[in-house]
This record gives sequence, structure tokens and C-alpha cells, in this order.
Amino acid sequence: MRVIVRTVSELCITAGTLIVLFVVYVLFWTGVQADSVMNDQIDQLQQQWAQGRVGHTAGGPGASAAPQEPAPYHYDKPFAIMYIPRLGFTWNKPVLEGTGTDVLKKGLAHYARTARLGQRGNFAIAGHRRTYGDPFKDFPRLRPGDAVVLTDGTTWFTYRIDKGPYKTVPSDVEVIDPVPRKSGYTRPGRYLTLTTCDPEWGHSHRLIVWAHLDSTQPVETGKPKALRR
Amino acid sequence: MYGWIWRHLPGNVWVRALIALVLVLFVIYALFQYVFPWAEPLLPFNDVTVDNQ
Repeated sequence: MRVIVRTVSELCITAGTLIVLFVVYVLFWTGVQADSVMNDQIDQLQQQWAQGRVGHTAGGPGASAAPQEPAPYHYDKPFAIMYIPRLGFTWNKPVLEGTGTDVLKKGLAHYARTARLGQRGNFAIAGHRRTYGDPFKDFPRLRPGDAVVLTDGTTWFTYRIDKGPYKTVPSDVEVIDPVPRKSGYTRPGRYLTLTTCDPEWGHSHRLIVWAHLDSTQPVETGKPKALRR
Repeated sequence: MYGWIWRHLPGNVWVRALIALVLVLFVIYALFQYVFPWAEPLLPFNDVTVDNQ
């Protein structure tokens, strides 16, 4: 009898310890790992850019001439860095191609079937709300007028948020359409969509914000106004 | 269970404690390296896209 009671108690203690360790892993360790991976991605990008990648013709919002075919995005590879001053002045995350679970562990993920950065159409990005560095933890604080700045190494793209955060269901794929119906946009343009999960620790809904391309400038001219203190 | 392991470890108290500590650390390492990364995607925090690709 005593042996049974003792063994059962030991098993309970073991199970409790396991759960605590798992919580530590999810809340803390994934963040530690993600921070180091994201920094690696950004270093890798900056190295790439410093080595002077292929010449790229910047397509401003008014530019009608098609620029020469830019390098294609490769799945799981970073191609841009995103800055959102509202989420913190030091907030910057790499943007990778594809929305697989493995990609989302390394940074923000670009929906592969949506437009390229700065191009006509809808450039759509997904990011973790919680775990893996909590990139979009403060997503509900985003407001219309906030800047979302991206760089691909040659050009700064400043998007301005027009609508959001808008709450929807996970199956609502039309939020990343070239002209999302609920966004209020009526004509084709250069748009940006950010998606994350809602509630913070759940997956029953999604939060969306929409933005339009406000301005572009070559990196040689320095940081855009939205990023200057 | 733990008493049984303790009795089957060799050496005096100090050696046993050392071996026990190494075992515990090994188990934690295995959990963080293999078990938790496998279990974590079963939780909902990964669903942040609208098309579930």
C-alpha cells in the first residue's frame, strides 16, 4: 500500500515538474531562441546588402515603367527588414518568404502568393502574437496613420496604416486579396496586410491591419522620416 | 521510483548525488531539445495566418 501511494505521488510530482518545464520552454526558451535566430537573419541580410547585391530599380508609387526582373524570393530566406515605430523604437524583425511553421519561428512571414514588397497588389505578412519572440504582441495598439517601414537593402518603403486592427475568423482568406473587400480600398494599389492571431494565446480569430504605400526613397538618402527620432 | 533509482546508483552519497544531478540535467536537455519542440506545434500559438498553409 505504502509503495503504491509513494509511486503515485512521485508520478504526480514528475508530471507537475514536466508541465512547469514546458511552460518555461514555451514562454521563455522559444523567445531566447527566436531572438538569436532573428538577429542572425538580420545580420545575414545586412551582410548580403553590404556586399552589394544586384542593382535594383526602385519603383516609386508613381513609376509606371516595369523595373527589370528583381531577384525572386526564396522560401525560408529573409529578404527585408520591417520597422514599426509604434511597437517600439528598437522593434525590427526580418521578413522571410513563405508562411510555414518553420519560417514563422525565424521572423515575420510573407504569404508567398501575394505581391512583392512595394509592388502593385497586396504585400501580406503574418507574425506570431505570442511565443517565438512575441513579434506582434502589441498588435492591438496599432492605429490608422501609424508607419510600417520596410527596407529591402536598396529602398525604404513607408506604409501608412489605414484600417485596423480588424478582427476576423481564420478562414477569411480574402483579407489578403489584392484589393481586400473589408479594407475600404476600392481601387488596385500598393497595399500591405499584417495578420496575427487573436486572442493573444488562442487561435480562434485573426487580427488584421491594412496599410497603403505612402512613400519610397533610396537607402542612400538615409532613414525615412518615420524612423527618425 | 526515485528511491529505486537512488538505491541502484553506485558509489557513496556524493557520487550518487553527482550522478543524479547529471541524469536530471540530461533529462531536461532531452526535453528542451526533442520533446518540447515536438509538442509545441500541437498548441494553438502557431496559427497566425489566414489560410493555414
